[in-house]
Formats: sequence, C-alpha cells, structure tokens
Amino acid sequence: MAGSIEHRIALSAESDHASLPILGRAHEWVVTVDHKRLGLMYIGGGLVFFLIAGLQAATMRLQLAIPNAGIIAPQVFNRLLTVHGTAMVFLVGMPILTGFLNYLVPLMIGARDLAFPRLNAFGFWLWLFGSLLLYFSYIGGDGLYGAGSAPDVGWFAYAPLTERAFSRGNSTDYWILSILLTSVGSTATAINLLTSIFCMRCEGMTLRKMPVLVWLAAVVSFLMCVVLPPLSAAQAMLLLDRFLGAHFFDTQAGGSAILWQHFFWIFGHPEVYVLVLPAFAFANEIIPVFSRKVIFGYSVMVAASCALAFISLGVWAHHMFSVGMAPAGNAFFAASTMLVSIPTGIKIFNWIGTMWGGKIRFRIPMMFSVGFLAQFLIAGLTGIMLAVAPFDWQLTDTYFVVAHFHYVLIGAIVFMIFAAIYYWFPKATGKMLGERLGKWHFWLFLIGFHMTFDTLHFAGLRGMPRRIYTYQPGRGLDTINLIASIGVIFQAAGILMFLINVIRSLRSGKPAGDDPWDAWTLEWSTSSPPPEYNFAELPVVRSRRPLWDLKHPEDPDWKYE
Amino acid sequence: MDDERNRGHEQTVIEMPAPTAWPMLMAVGLTLSFAGLVTSVAVTIVGIVFTIVGIVGWFGEVLPVEHTESIAVTPALEVPRAKVAVAYLEVGEMGHRAVLPLEIYPYRAGIKGGIAGGVVMAALAVVHGMILHGSPWYTINILAATGMADLANANAATLSSFIPSAFIVALVIHGVASILIGLLYGVLLPMAPRYPAFFAAIVAPLLWTGLLWASLSVINPVLDARIEWRWFILCQIAFGAVAGYVVDRTEKVRTLQHLPFAVRSGIESPGIMRERIEREPEK
Repeated sequence: MAGSIEHRIALSAESDHASLPILGRAHEWVVTVDHKRLGLMYIGGGLVFFLIAGLQAATMRLQLAIPNAGIIAPQVFNRLLTVHGTAMVFLVGMPILTGFLNYLVPLMIGARDLAFPRLNAFGFWLWLFGSLLLYFSYIGGDGLYGAGSAPDVGWFAYAPLTERAFSRGNSTDYWILSILLTSVGSTATAINLLTSIFCMRCEGMTLRKMPVLVWLAAVVSFLMCVVLPPLSAAQAMLLLDRFLGAHFFDTQAGGSAILWQHFFWIFGHPEVYVLVLPAFAFANEIIPVFSRKVIFGYSVMVAASCALAFISLGVWAHHMFSVGMAPAGNAFFAASTMLVSIPTGIKIFNWIGTMWGGKIRFRIPMMFSVGFLAQFLIAGLTGIMLAVAPFDWQLTDTYFVVAHFHYVLIGAIVFMIFAAIYYWFPKATGKMLGERLGKWHFWLFLIGFHMTFDTLHFAGLRGMPRRIYTYQPGRGLDTINLIASIGVIFQAAGILMFLINVIRSLRSGKPAGDDPWDAWTLEWSTSSPPPEYNFAELPVVRSRRPLWDLKHPEDPDWKYE
Repeated sequence: MDDERNRGHEQTVIEMPAPTAWPMLMAVGLTLSFAGLVTSVAVTIVGIVFTIVGIVGWFGEVLPVEHTESIAVTPALEVPRAKVAVAYLEVGEMGHRAVLPLEIYPYRAGIKGGIAGGVVMAALAVVHGMILHGSPWYTINILAATGMADLANANAATLSSFIPSAFIVALVIHGVASILIGLLYGVLLPMAPRYPAFFAAIVAPLLWTGLLWASLSVINPVLDARIEWRWFILCQIAFGAVAGYVVDRTEKVRTLQHLPFAVRSGIESPGIMRERIEREPEK
C-alpha cells in the first residue's frame, strides 16, 4: 500500500510554483491542505463577501439618505438587510478572523501545520459552498428553476416570521442551509485550532509562554465549539418545522417564538466575542510591537479573555429585555451584562498601559489599532447603557442599537482586521503595503465611519426604528440620515484606496524582508512568505518573545519571566 | 508529519501532508445533499454520491499510511542580532524592563477620595437646595427619585420635605457612586501624571457631566427637567477636586505585576525572590 503513495519531491517550492501555468497554479490552491494557503483563502473569500455585503449596505443607505426615497422596493430592502447582516457575520467576520488564526497559529506555536490539515481544507470548502448557497438564493430562491427571492427575515430570523405561513418559497431555507453548513465548517476549524494549540506547541512553549494571540485563539475556538451547536440545533428544528410540519417555533400550533430567540441569542451573543476576541488578539500583537514594549499585564490579559468568554455565555437574554421576561430575569441579565465591562475595562487599561511610556511608531497597523481602542471604548459604553433594562426598553429596535453594534463590528473588528492585514501582509506576500495609500485608507475610513455611525446614535435617540425602508420628512431625521449616507461614500473611498494598495503592492510592492516591523513572535523568524514547512528546524523557545532573545542575547527575556 | 530524522542541520527534505481534493469533494457533496431540499431530489442524490466518494477518497489519503509529499528544505534563516543595544531607563529598579506605571495608588486611596469628595458634594448639594428651594431635602429627594418612581412625579412641596426612605435611597446611591468614582480616580490618576489636579478637578468631571447632559433626557427625563446644570457642574468639580486631592496625597505603592503570583497572593514560596534577584542583570 505504501508503495502506491505518490511521493513527489519539490526541488524548490518557489521555482516549481512560478513555472506552473495559471491553471496549474489554481489547481495547487484548490487541492492545498497548507494552513497558510487555506488561511489566505479564508481571508480572500471573506474580503470578496465584504465588498458584496458592503455594496448591499451602501444601497440601503442610499435608500435612507432622504425621506420617502423610492430607489428600492420595501421587499428588496428587507432582502438586502437580511443578506447583508448574515453575510457580514458568517461570510465576512468569522472567515476573515479564523483565516488569520489559521495562518498565524501554527507559525506562532512553532509547528509545521495544524493538527488536521485535511479537516482544515474540508472546513474551508464547506464554508465557501455554504456561503455561495446564501447568494444562490438570489437566482433560485424558489427552487432550481424558480424566481430569485433572497431571504427577507432578518439575520436573526425571528419566529414565527420564518414559518411556512409567513415565509413562502425557499429563500428562508437557503438561509437556514447556508448557516448550517458554514457553522459545521467553522466548528471543524475550531476543533483543529484547539487541538493544534494544546498538542503541537514547540519545545519550551509552555502555556505561560504562548503569545496572547494564541491564547485568544484557544478561547475563541472553545467558544465556537460551545455556541455553534445550539445554532445548528435551532436551524435543524426550523428545517423540521418547514419541511416536516413540526411545530417547534410555530405559535399557531402551540410552538414557542421565544424558544427561537433563546436558541438564537445563546449563539448570537457569544458570537460577538467569537468575532471580537480575535480582534483583541491582533491588538495584543500589534500594540506592543509598535510601542516597543512588552505587553502590559500578560497574565491579566489572558485571564480577562477567559473571563469574557465565560461571562458572554450568560448574557444572551439582554437581547430580549423587551420580550417581557420576569423582572428577576431582566435583573440577572442586566447585572451579568454589566459584568462584561470589568474584563473589557482591564483590557483597555492594559493596552493603554502598554503604549504608555513606549516609543510609539505610528505606522498604519498602529493607527488602526489606536482607532480601534477609542471606538471600542465607546462601543462598550453604549453597550453598558443598553444593559440597563429600562433604557433598553426605550431604545430597543431603534438605530441606537444599530449604531452600537456597528461600533463593535466595524469600529473594533473591521478596524483590527485592517490593522492585521497591514501588519501581516508583508509576512504573507513578502511585499509591504504602501504607507501613503494606507494613510488615505485609514483617514477616509475613519471619517466615514464616524459620520455614519456617530450620527445614527442620534437617529435612534430620536426614535428612528431599525429595519424600516423609509421615513417621513420633518421628524428630525433628514439631516442625520443624509450625513450617515455621505459617510458611506467616505468609507467606500477608503476601501477603494485599500484595494488599489493591495493590487499595487502585490504587483510592485517594496520587498518586505523577513521581519519588517522588528517584531518578537515566531512567525517573523521564518522567510516572507514562509515555506510550506514553516520552519527548516522546529524552534525552541524560552520566553514569550523568542525573537527578542535571539536579537538581544546580551539581555534576553527569559531571565525575567 | 516530521520526525526525528528531519531534525538538525543535515536534513534535506521535510515530509508534509500531500495536497488532496477529497475534502473539497466531500464538502461539495454535503452542500449538494442539503441543497437538494430546495432544488431537486436529483441534486441530493448527486450530493450523497459525491459525499461517499469524498469520504472513501479521504480515508485512502490517511489509511493505512498518511499520504505525504517531500519538500526540499532551504537553510534556516539566521535571526540577526539587533544593531541597537538595549537602552536602560534610569527610573525603576528592574532595569529597562520597568513595568509602567512603576507606582500606583492603593485602592484605599480611591475609597478615601471618593468618601471625601462625596461629603463635599453632598454639602454643596444641600446648600443648593436651601438657596434655590428653601429646603435642604430638595436635592436629596431629587437624587432619590432616580430610584423611586413615585418621587419622580412628586410636586415641589413633597420634594422639599424630609422623607426617610428617600434619604436612605439617596444616601446609598450617592455613597456607592462616590466610592466607585473615587476608585476610578485611584486607577486613572497614575495615567495622568503631568497634570493630575487639572485632570481630577476639570477634565474628568466635565467629561461625565457632558455624558450625563447628553443622555439624561433619554435615561430619566423627569430628573433632566429638574436639574440645575450650573450647580450640578459646580458639585462635580468640587467632588473631582477633593477626591483628586485626597488620592494624590496618598503615598503610592509599587506595581506588583513583576512579582510572581505566589508572592502576590501571600503564599509562602521560599527562594522565589532570591532567585529573581540573582537573575537581575548587572548594571
């Protein structure tokens, strides 16, 4: 049997790859099980969906720019809203962030690959095909030969709106199946990351010497393993309702609409942390390197991350204050939500502590990180406001909530995704991203973000409900919505700068070298881009900053840790 | 994946998992199997076939022996020594690895500052009530109204009278808030080492007053309608100045971050500190 195994020797990976025709190169990407390529494919795929879902958001904002605009029909608006929300969470946030973890974790723990390389490929393809299924509904929402009818039930798909009686055709089924498949893919990735982190660390890398990013990857993976199954269970139950006449969520037949909300938010709230913890992880790597200081409070940072993950599992019902739960339930979930502020506050103080007294270099990754810090602080504050049940009763389902969660999802997560792209792009491609275009990108995106989402807080305070496709003039909402929509143009211009930057840098970017930022973690000890096997010799580490030890043998970190 | 023979300088090839399309085929198969629910049963059948073929192919990849490819190794990179030597700070006894801030205020400083600031603020609030409303209880009842719904709609005469339950509620709200903000001062003031008095008396009170001013109409419109904002700002500044003064006068303590957990938690751990001192580089 062993003799039948194909045993190919690549004389030189680079020359071999370069000499392949374009189809051959595409084939290499399709059949790859290399964690780095799969990581890049996740990130690339996520960015494509980011552009599509971003265009959908821009269309919605165009419709809302002026009162009574008739640019798109209400039904189209509902579809855009649903697919935009679903895509940004499942097709953009999760894949890009897990793509980074896929790429970085083996390099950072000094391993050659993830524990299950083929499972990794399986997870990616399942995610991709599941994602395509969501957008396929635009073509065949009513069946293989049917008219397009994308899902229009919101990304939360509240029951009984999703039951057959209210959601005819198959568009909601596409939504269910897409999420079901992408969730299975994400669970596979999470299991892979967990196993790799706990079983494949290089010699000397004890748990106390792991980079904080790796710690957070473990926490996020654990969280994914815990919260994705309830979501999948709910999707399966909804499928049973729709196809086999079960009545789990069918209120007309004695089912419970609230049950869906519990299932959904048991997943939905920790999902925020599945998305934001990797963003924290990027900040934990970028801020120390650009402050030229070790991270302030390593142990506390790790403990705070674990605490965040734990607490996040017990706060789901703060999305349901207006459902009419018992006062004791409201009080419990309000209090538990406020607890989130403690580990979050610790993290913010520690990042500031890391920068304080440091020799800060304001390069693009650091600029995005500082933007993230300020915006995440505001997102946290509005989150605490919404944790107060009476306040939430007034503002739930208004644009205040929309502004709050976009502060988390864009202000924190997208900003840190950009920071991470600028920071690790040189490692992945061997080329630097342009600094000038990067600054244009940062400032345009920052201004646009604040124009859009600062103002939407006020739209919410003035009572503008979310999920509406238009509004009447003269209610104090006209100027706010116009400014918010103009902000989208700035954001789009920023993204355009980013795309031009990436294309230009890939074609003729400045060579990066192996360690352009003078960083300290293991991924910078190998070539840029790294070879398939990551390290010619598996590293041995003695401290949290192994590269510092090598660069400064006269004064290594291990003497102090 | 790699074994002992691949370790060391003399290695020339490394075994890596071979590329394979089976996982992708299985993913296509699973997707089609589900997609058949919304398209056609034929799609599901094709999907199931693909899935089975994918599973069989995948098993063949790893059983009985994992399918690998050999990659030629390029020599490992040498990490160059840094050209810039480590610059030592003069402050801090731990060499250049000073954990900033080197010193912080103890928690009791924040509690004391909060209590002192709270007392001064309460006195000013009582004066405000007496001057503008002829009763020392007016401001106390207004504060209590944030937690007592029946007081929120009370008339001026009721608000000017002594109500024991309102007094207790106001005392609890004011006391807890003062201590918590005092604690915050204790944590924040080391972060503003240049102008602590300005930060404590002006910046911080104006920041939270601005936040309250912007949001109180939503959080508590009744309270918002009754608040005298000039007095409110004066009270906040008085609180900030007193709390900041008390905190700033307290002797700072060294941060404990560099100490091992065992030492911080008071567990007897002989040898730890000596070992650490021995390791400290010579200056």
